[in-house]
Amino acid sequence: MSKDIATGKYPKDSASSIRRRIDGFAIINGVLLTLVSLLCILPLIHIAAVSFSSSSAAAAGLIKLWPVEFTLKSYEYVGGREEFWRAMLVSVQRIAIGTPLNLLLIVLVAYPLSKESGQFAFRSIYAWVFFIPLLFNGGMIPWYITIKQFGLLDSIWALVLPGAVPIFSVVLMLNFFRQTPKELEEAAVMDGAGQWTVLWRVFIPISMPALATLALFSMVDNWNSWFDGLILMNNPMNYPLQSYIQTIVVQGDFGAMTREDLMNLSQISDRTLKASQIFLGTLPIIMAYPFLQKYFVKGIVVGSVKG
Amino acid sequence: MNRWKSKRNVLLPLIAIMIIVLILSACGKNESDNKNEGEATNKNNASSSVEEGPLSKYDPPIEVSFVRSTDDTLETNVLGNLSGETLADNRWTRLYEESLGIKIKYDWVVKGTDQYTQKLNVTLASGELPDVIQVDAIQLKQLADSDMIEDLTELYDKYASQLTKDTLAQEGTAPFDSTTIDGKLMGLPLTDGAIDRSQLLWIRTDWLEKLGLQPPKTMDDVLAISKAFTESDPDGNGKQDTFGLGLSRELWGGAMALEGFMAGYNAFPNMWVEDASGTVVYGGVQPEVKKALQVLQNMLKAQQIEKEFGIKDSGKVAEQFAVGKIGMEYGQQWNSLWPLQASRDNDPNAEWQAFPIVSETGDGAKVPLQSNTRLAYAVRKGAANPEAVIKMYNLHLEKNWGESEENDKYYAPPEAEGVWKLSPVTPGPAFKNLAAFREINAARQSGDTSALKGEAKTIQAKLDEFASGSKEGFALWGWERIYGPASSYSVIDQYDKNGQFLMDGFTTVPTPTMIERKSTLDKLQNETFINIILGDSIDSFDKFVTDWKRLGGDDITKEVNDARIK
Amino acid sequence: MIKRKWRQELPLHAMILPGLAFIIAFSYIPMAGIVIAFQKFIPAKGLFGDQKWIGLDNFKYVMNLPGFTQVLWNTMYISSLKLLLGLIVPIVFAILLNELQGKFLKRSIQTAIYLPHFLSWVILGGILVDMLSPSGGIVNSVLKSLGIEPIFFLGDNRWFPTTLVVSDVWKNFGYGTIVYLAAIMGIDPAQYEAATIDGANRWHKAWHITIPGMRMVVVLLSVLSLGQLLNAGFDQVFNLYSLPVYKSGDILDTFVYRIGLLDAQYGVATAVGLFKSIVSLLLISVSYFCAYRFAKYRIF
Repeated sequence: MSKDIATGKYPKDSASSIRRRIDGFAIINGVLLTLVSLLCILPLIHIAAVSFSSSSAAAAGLIKLWPVEFTLKSYEYVGGREEFWRAMLVSVQRIAIGTPLNLLLIVLVAYPLSKESGQFAFRSIYAWVFFIPLLFNGGMIPWYITIKQFGLLDSIWALVLPGAVPIFSVVLMLNFFRQTPKELEEAAVMDGAGQWTVLWRVFIPISMPALATLALFSMVDNWNSWFDGLILMNNPMNYPLQSYIQTIVVQGDFGAMTREDLMNLSQISDRTLKASQIFLGTLPIIMAYPFLQKYFVKGIVVGSVKG
Repeated sequence: MNRWKSKRNVLLPLIAIMIIVLILSACGKNESDNKNEGEATNKNNASSSVEEGPLSKYDPPIEVSFVRSTDDTLETNVLGNLSGETLADNRWTRLYEESLGIKIKYDWVVKGTDQYTQKLNVTLASGELPDVIQVDAIQLKQLADSDMIEDLTELYDKYASQLTKDTLAQEGTAPFDSTTIDGKLMGLPLTDGAIDRSQLLWIRTDWLEKLGLQPPKTMDDVLAISKAFTESDPDGNGKQDTFGLGLSRELWGGAMALEGFMAGYNAFPNMWVEDASGTVVYGGVQPEVKKALQVLQNMLKAQQIEKEFGIKDSGKVAEQFAVGKIGMEYGQQWNSLWPLQASRDNDPNAEWQAFPIVSETGDGAKVPLQSNTRLAYAVRKGAANPEAVIKMYNLHLEKNWGESEENDKYYAPPEAEGVWKLSPVTPGPAFKNLAAFREINAARQSGDTSALKGEAKTIQAKLDEFASGSKEGFALWGWERIYGPASSYSVIDQYDKNGQFLMDGFTTVPTPTMIERKSTLDKLQNETFINIILGDSIDSFDKFVTDWKRLGGDDITKEVNDARIK
Repeated sequence: MIKRKWRQELPLHAMILPGLAFIIAFSYIPMAGIVIAFQKFIPAKGLFGDQKWIGLDNFKYVMNLPGFTQVLWNTMYISSLKLLLGLIVPIVFAILLNELQGKFLKRSIQTAIYLPHFLSWVILGGILVDMLSPSGGIVNSVLKSLGIEPIFFLGDNRWFPTTLVVSDVWKNFGYGTIVYLAAIMGIDPAQYEAATIDGANRWHKAWHITIPGMRMVVVLLSVLSLGQLLNAGFDQVFNLYSLPVYKSGDILDTFVYRIGLLDAQYGVATAVGLFKSIVSLLLISVSYFCAYRFAKYRIF
C-alpha cells in the first residue's frame, strides 16, 4: 500500500468495509495471540501440576497439566528448606545491587557513545573498545583467575562486578539515545545546560521505555545466571537461586552415586520437590514484568508530550 | 541556568570509581592477609611434625586444607537429621582433631561432581592447591609431571597401618597401578569395589509366575521371556503395551544397560580382553558384538524394546518401570533401590529379583568388570605434613572396620545414613558389601542375627523392619532385594564362588592416544550401536570396525599392549 | 580552540570512565588468556606455568577430527535458521501485539509469551521429551486428530534440526518481542494521529509508521545476531540431542564439549572459541559496513 502521490493521502475505503475488516482482524488476531500464549504457558503449568502432585504419580510420569493426587507436601518441605531461601536471598541481593549498577553504567557509557564524532572525537575508538569484548574472551580459566586476583571470590561482588557493563544493552541504549530529536538537546544547550544536565533532564526522561526494557533484561540476566555462581562461590551456602536449582535438577552420574543417593532418588524428596522449587524460583522474576509494563506506557506519555 | 552545571555531576562518576577501587583493594588486602595467616600456621605445623606412628597425635594440632563436593543426600538426609553438625564441624572433623590433632579446613566446597571437576581445574590453573586434593588418574599424572605433588612411597610404608595396607591391597595391585607413576606412589588410591559393579539380570518375578515361566538358563530363555512379557499381556490389561527389555539412551552403566546382555554372547564392549594369542584387544570391535546387536535389532522390531529408548535417558525410562510397562533389565546390585522401588510403590504386587546373567550355552557367563576411572588423594608439594592424609586413612578405616570400630556412629547410623561422607577421605574395603552379605547370610542360616556388628548390623535392622510389614518397612523393600536370601548379593556371591568375573585387561593411566581419541571413538561406537539397534543395516558394524581402527583404535591397542609389557 | 573542545568533551570522558575501568578489569585482562589456544594447556601447571607452545596444533586437531565438516555444517544450518526465524517472529508478534485492543489482554499475552524464557533447557528438555513423544505426546495427539502420521521430533534426523529451531524460537520470541515493543513505544504517537486524519487504515500505519520506526532496532539486532552464526545453542542441543540424531544435531560446541570430557582440554576449547570469535568479527564487520553503506546507519 502506498500513499496516493497526487493527494498525499491514503486511498480511502468505504467506512463500513473498514469497520468490518477491522473487527474481523481484531478477532483473528486476538484468538491467534491467545492460542500462542497458551502454548507458552504449558511447561510452567506442567511444573506447577507436578509440584502439587503425589511423589509416586510424579515418579511414574502420570502428570500432564493437572495435579494427580493433590498434595501440598512438597511446599511444606520447601518452606522449611533453608538452602532454598538463602539462595533466593542471594539472588534478590544480586538484583538489588546488580541492576541499578548495570543501568547506571549503561547510561553513562551509552550517552557519550551516542554522540557524533564531531561532538566527541574519541567516540569511535571507545565504541570499538567496548564492542570487542562482546566477541572475544579468554575462556573460563583466565576469567576465574582475574576475579580471584581482585579478591572477589565467594562474595556477592563476584556475581555483580564482572558483568557490570552489559555491552549488548549499551549498544541498544546508544541507538535509542540517537533517536532522540536533536532539537531538544540543542534547546537545552542554549539554556546553558552541560552534558550532565542534558543527559539527566532530557535524554533519560525520554528514554524511559528503553530503560525499562534494559532494566528488565538486567534483572532477568542477573536472575537466570547460574554458571558463574557455581564456579565463583567457595561454599554452596552462597549460591544464587538458579545455581542452586541447577544443582538439584541436573541428574547425577549413577556411577558416582552411593546407595544412599539412590534411595533419595526414589523418595518423596525427588521430583515434586524439584518442581516446587523450580516453580517458586520462577515466580518472583515473572512478577517483575507486569510491574515494569507500567513504564512502557509512561514512555508513550512522555513521547506525546515532546511532540 | 548555568547553575545546572553543578559540581555534583562531575563527582558522581568519580565517587563510583572510588567505591570500585575501594572495594577491589579492600578485598585484595583481605586475601593477602589470609595468605599471611596461612603461612604463619604452616610454619607452626612444620615444627610439630616430629610425630611417629600410624595413629599418633599431633601436638600442637595442625591444620590440613582440603576441597570437596557435597550433594543433596548429604545436606538433606545427613546434615538435615543431625542437629549441631555442619560440613565444617561434625563427628568426623571432631574425631580427626581429637584423636590425631588434625584440624580440617575446606578451601572450597561445591555441590555436584561436575562442578567439582570444573572448580578443581580452575584451582589447579590458578596455582593455589590445598594440602590434600582428590583427583582422577589423568589429573594425578599431570600434577606429578608438573612436580606439584609429593612422592608418598616412603611415607606410605612408614605411616600406613596394617589395616590400611591390607584393605587397599584387597583387589591386588590394580588400585595402585594408576597412582604409581614412574615407580613412585603419587596418590593414595580411593578404592571402590569393582565387584559392586557386576551386571545382573533383574526380572519381574510376579510376571514370570503369572505366565508360568521359569528363570532363564540361557540367552534363548531370556529372549523367550522378553517375547512373552511383550506379547502375552503380563499386566492383564488386554492391551499389548508392555516391553520385554528396558534400555536407556546411555546404553551402558548402572541400570537399563547393555553390558550384561552382550556378555551373554561373549561380547565385552568398553573393556580390554585378552584374545587367544595373549594380546589384549578392544571388546567393542569383536564379531561377538555384531551378533548381539543383531539380536537386539530383532527385539526392537518385535516391539520388545521401545522404539523411543534412543532418546530417553534413564530418568525417563524409570517412569516406565514405575508404571509397570517393562519386565526385565540388566543392571547393578542397587537397581532395586532405583528405579525398581518406584514400580513397587505404584503396584505393591510388583516383585523383582536379581538373577545371574546367562550365556548362550547355559554355562556360567563371564561377568565383565571394567576398570573404573580411579580417584586418588594427592598431597601438595611442600605441604607441612604430607603424612597427615595417610593417618586419616588409618583412622577412617579403623573407626569403621577395625578393632575399635564404631560403625553405627561413624558409618551409617540409622538416623543419618551416609554419615561417612562427612569425612574428607573415604576409603573402604573393596569387598565390604559382599562381606556384609556373607555375614548376614550366615547369621540368617544359623537363625541368630544378634551377633552381627558394624554395617551388617545396620543392614540387618533394615531387613527386620521390612519383614515386620510396617509402613516404614515397605520403603525398605529395595534393601531386602540387595541383602535378603534371594538378592543381588546372593548372585554376586555365586559369581565370586564360581570365578565368573572377567577383569578389564587395562588398568593403568590412560595412554596418550586414548586421551586424544577416546571420546571420538566412543561416540562412533555408541552412535553405530544405537542406530543398528534402531534398524540400520547390521553391516554398518563392519564399517565401524574399520573406522575405529583407522581413527586411532590401532594406535591405542598398541599402546595398551606396550603398557602391559612394562 | 582545541582546548575549548577538550573542555567540552571532558564530561563525556568522565562519564565513560567507570564503564571503561570495568571493561578493562573484567574483559581485557582475562582476554590475555587467549594464548591458551596456542598451548598444550595443562591446568595443573598453572596459567603462568611452563605450558608447551604448539602453534596452531589445537586448530588442526579439531579440524582433522572425523565428522568435523558435518558438525560445522549442522552448526551453520541450525543457527542460520534460528537467526532468521528468531528475527522475524518477534517483529511480527510485536506488531500484532501493538494492534491488539484491550489493555488487560495485551498485558497478559505479553507476560505469557515470555514465560518459557525462564525455564532452563535442563528443565525444558525433560518436558519436551514428553510433549513431543510420538506415542501419546500432546503435539502428536493434535497432529493425529488432524490425520497426520506421528512424527518422532527428537529421534528422527529429518525432523531434529527443525525441532531445535522451532523450540528455540518458541522459548525466546516473547523475550525478543520486548525490544521491538520498546522500539514501537518510542515512535511519536503524533505520527499515528496524523496518519489517521489522513485516513490511513491499520495496514498503512503498520507499513509506513511502525515498521520504519523499528528499523533501527531491526538493523541493529540483525547485525549483532549475525555474529552468532557459529553459536547454535549449546544448552539446548546438549539437553535435547541423543545418539540417534548426532548426525543432524551435533554442533560445534557439543562436539568440543565431548572432546573435553575425558581430559580438561582447555587449549582445544579456547582455540575453538577464538575461531568462532574471528568468524563473528568478520561477519559483524562486513554487515556493519554494509549497514553503513546501504542504510546510512552506524549501529554503534
